[in-house]
Amino acid sequence: MCTENTFTNEVINLDLLPKYENIRLSRPHADYWKIIRINLLIIFGLLGMIMGILICFIDEVKANSTWMIPVYVAFSGSFFFLFSASFKKRGYAIRTHDIIYKRGIIAESTTIVPLNRIQHIELNEGLFSRMYKLGSLQLFTAGGQTGHIHISGIAIDEAKRIRDLLLKKLDQLEHPSADLNTNE
Amino acid sequence: MNNDFSKPQRESALGIIIMGAHTMLKIGKATFFLFLIAFLKMSGTSFVYLILGIFAIIAFSFILAYIWYLKFNFFLDKEKQEFVVNKGIFNRDQVIIQLDKIQQVNINQNILQKIIGVYGLKIDTAGAHGEEVSIKAIDETSAYNLKEHLITRQTDTQQEAERDSDRINETPFLRISSWTLLKVGLTSNYGQSLALIVAFFYTVIYEGRQLLDAFKINKDEIQHTVTGMLTIVTVCFLIACLLIVLLVVNLVRTFYKYFELEISENSNTLLLSSGLIAKKNTLITPNKVQTTTYSQNYFQKKMDMFNMRLKQAHFGQSKKGHEMQGNTLEIPGCNAGERDEILKMILGKLPPKGKTFIPDWRFLNLPIFFKLIVPVSFFLIIALNMPEVKPYIGIAIAYLVLGVVMIYISYRRHRISVSQDFIIKTGGIWDISNEIVLTGKIQAITTFQYPWHKGVDVGHLTLHTAAGQIHFKYGNYTEIKQLVNYWLYQVESRDENWM
Repeated sequence: MCTENTFTNEVINLDLLPKYENIRLSRPHADYWKIIRINLLIIFGLLGMIMGILICFIDEVKANSTWMIPVYVAFSGSFFFLFSASFKKRGYAIRTHDIIYKRGIIAESTTIVPLNRIQHIELNEGLFSRMYKLGSLQLFTAGGQTGHIHISGIAIDEAKRIRDLLLKKLDQLEHPSADLNTNE
Repeated sequence: MNNDFSKPQRESALGIIIMGAHTMLKIGKATFFLFLIAFLKMSGTSFVYLILGIFAIIAFSFILAYIWYLKFNFFLDKEKQEFVVNKGIFNRDQVIIQLDKIQQVNINQNILQKIIGVYGLKIDTAGAHGEEVSIKAIDETSAYNLKEHLITRQTDTQQEAERDSDRINETPFLRISSWTLLKVGLTSNYGQSLALIVAFFYTVIYEGRQLLDAFKINKDEIQHTVTGMLTIVTVCFLIACLLIVLLVVNLVRTFYKYFELEISENSNTLLLSSGLIAKKNTLITPNKVQTTTYSQNYFQKKMDMFNMRLKQAHFGQSKKGHEMQGNTLEIPGCNAGERDEILKMILGKLPPKGKTFIPDWRFLNLPIFFKLIVPVSFFLIIALNMPEVKPYIGIAIAYLVLGVVMIYISYRRHRISVSQDFIIKTGGIWDISNEIVLTGKIQAITTFQYPWHKGVDVGHLTLHTAAGQIHFKYGNYTEIKQLVNYWLYQVESRDENWM
């Protein structure tokens, strides 16, 4: 009985707690959509070239080209559509104590990582990302593959700013006393 | 014997034998069938070469073992609180383990080690697979001394002496008798034994086929006789045999692994020891246990028995995407009192019964559709078009009924109970398991929802811990969001050490 009482006590608190679901999320940079399209074009371009060569030079493949080409077109079209849908759904937010990342094509899934559970941070810049001055940020926790956040398509300056902010917070968490002095 | 391990030292010289035998066994295992084929197919003159080859392998193994012994040393760096191991035959490897990263220390003895009278010591860290250290030969006192040093992290001599006397006086608070083990063997872990048997048959068939290839025996003939033997009676007989074999294997496995299982508490660490031929000792610190599970099936409920599983952190994201296993400790066959005792030891107190959340009835939809309706309708379509399959329609109906019952049971069991510091996830169909997590052990939280569930306010929850995930599906999404906010508040406001 006693435990239930303490819990209901917390329930009242629950409504006063900050709500993760009401946070306004930042969207990935608009240029990131260009990068996605470039990547898709490269992949499907290569695939198309291989298919073209096969169709031209191998007779057995040529006979099947009537269904292969429509499948290829439908496949690439649906990929573009899926990626654009997933791009529109992505969003992230950084709060004082945690990071929120939302993604999903059909189902919307939101992952929240408390800052004091982050193990390490990675900032990656790909070839095309560098051209558009974008970067992707990876946050690893001890929760394994599924418990980590990968935010792509953030403007590199912002990504670096977030990284430094997080590193500073991590440092603060590890050496609370030392950092309090320097901060205040 | 040097007792504080501060200077680099080699392992026991007897380790050469262990290592040599180990290498030999490895080579032997890899080439066993090669040798068998060679032995059976060759002419008399090459027999000498075969013997020579075997001797060469033995000599090679022992030379390698000797070099390995010379190059292998370890010591404890007290200032840096690190355990350092130097090893490597051709390249020089140095493994440095920070003492506070050590998860558990195992002291084992296999048959050979038992004969020679040495122990093997293994150190598990939270690191990725393959980074653990194992010392193959060390005498008993050093082994236990080293273990104490590694686990307790305190190195002043006074406490050491105290601890040594502790170790002698400690009395196990839990001991699993052979009778209990018999019951455990009869009632649980069928799945693992089944996997073992399947793996065994697979290798036998695979290797057998290679042998047949080697001897150019006509395979069709064998296949023909085998299919000829398959009548209803023999099939039933075979299934019965298989079931008995399964039970026996299960029993043997249980006895082999858990014979004389004892748990004792020793200066805030738990010591588990068990094993029939190879005795295994494991020391763990309770606060490194990430999730604690106890489970029970129908038979076990009648006998007041629980199986417990303590999971420690495994960092799966090693470079090769290879999930690390084996950081789970199992304690079979404890009764309710003993279970509570262990829970108290690991969690600090018994988890109180908190507020329970149950899933929505939509939980049933997807499994019933994909696991029952789709396959059964496929089967019916085939059956209606093919007269040979028609008599088996009864099986499909039985499958449907059984499936519905099972899915319904899993729905009824699927629930999550939340109290101030604990989260208990209940689930299962036959084995009902209760997985207990301290809120502080949560690493990340994911919530998700299908768009068509928005209107009815149903959603899913995943808690990521260092020892795996916990799912709660089809809950009330508003409640889930509230819980998430509450847990986030708890995790973020207190800066607990989760490991």
